[in-house]
Amino acid sequence: MSPISYTSNQLDALRELANIGSGTAGTALSQMLGRSVDISVPNALALPLAEAVEAVGSAEDDVTGVVIPLSGDLDAVVLLVFPTPDADTLCGMLGVEAGTEVGQSALAEIGNILGASYIGSLGMMTGLELDLTPPQAVTDMLAAIVSTVLAHRAEATDTALILDSELRVEGESCSLSFLLLPAAGGVDEILARMGVEA
Amino acid sequence: MTPTLTEIAVRMGEIAVSSTPGEVLLSIGLGSCIGLALVDQRRGIAGLAHVMLPEAIGAGGPPGKFADLAVPELVSRTVALGTARTSLKAVLVGGAQMFSLGGGALDIGVRNEAAVRGMLAVERIPIVAAETRGSKGRTVRVFPGGAVVSKEAGGAEIELLAGGRR
Repeated sequence: MSPISYTSNQLDALRELANIGSGTAGTALSQMLGRSVDISVPNALALPLAEAVEAVGSAEDDVTGVVIPLSGDLDAVVLLVFPTPDADTLCGMLGVEAGTEVGQSALAEIGNILGASYIGSLGMMTGLELDLTPPQAVTDMLAAIVSTVLAHRAEATDTALILDSELRVEGESCSLSFLLLPAAGGVDEILARMGVEA
Repeated sequence: MTPTLTEIAVRMGEIAVSSTPGEVLLSIGLGSCIGLALVDQRRGIAGLAHVMLPEAIGAGGPPGKFADLAVPELVSRTVALGTARTSLKAVLVGGAQMFSLGGGALDIGVRNEAAVRGMLAVERIPIVAAETRGSKGRTVRVFPGGAVVSKEAGGAEIELLAGGRR
């Protein structure tokens, strides 16, 4: 029974990291689509696992998730969540058919590009070596995707740490959530490098 | 006329039991997790555990999180409602392999299912139905009246255990 707690200082620092990371990712998405992209103020949440799914969205929602485990100095997973109608809109903008294999790999590639931008800026800020492993796109219930990612890292803790940003393509009903889900203790090194005391 | 049901959400690592007609125990979107239902159809008692991992290795969390702790806990909580261990039947839902996250040699969904089955064998509780493996998330509903139904993402409802739905 060891819930890991984070101080508000630490959560502020993580929110700032997410802010810069999602800003970079938003720029990449904007360049790719040739449209403006709005980026929300990110959340940095430390929650009991049971409450983690509903913090991300409605459990039963039909979504496409792009899952990208990181390798290197940070044990974490990048997860992009597209509500299915928004994924369809995005595929339309990219000129590929939604719900097909080509559509899924286009979304996976978007995940790859946005993930690389976000993680790249994180690496620059912290001096950590961070790499992406190949992205996997899955269409399913939101809860099934989020819980499977979290379960994989839940051995040592009952706390889920969630850095959540929302990107919205202007003038279209097309938005996505960019989540960084670090493993227990995974952010200790980052916080130490940023000089953030507990 | 459909009677109104009260849904009791059983989220990651949680356990719930009920003997109240009109209630339904519900886990939405089981991926690699296992929804373990124990049902006493004659007495109208049911329980559901949302198991995330095979075993607790000195780790944190509620008992429902780990198969080795969740199974005995779920048994004792259903027995506390007035059933006998020998009257319980088990139904398993979940344990899908949705994507690969690296790490262990064996997929976590497969390991979860094996661990739950192993613990049920220890408790001598028969498994009467299972909807496991595959690559899709599933939702399970457990009724104290005896029915257990599952539904895959984008799929139709499957009645795993026929029984009352209230």
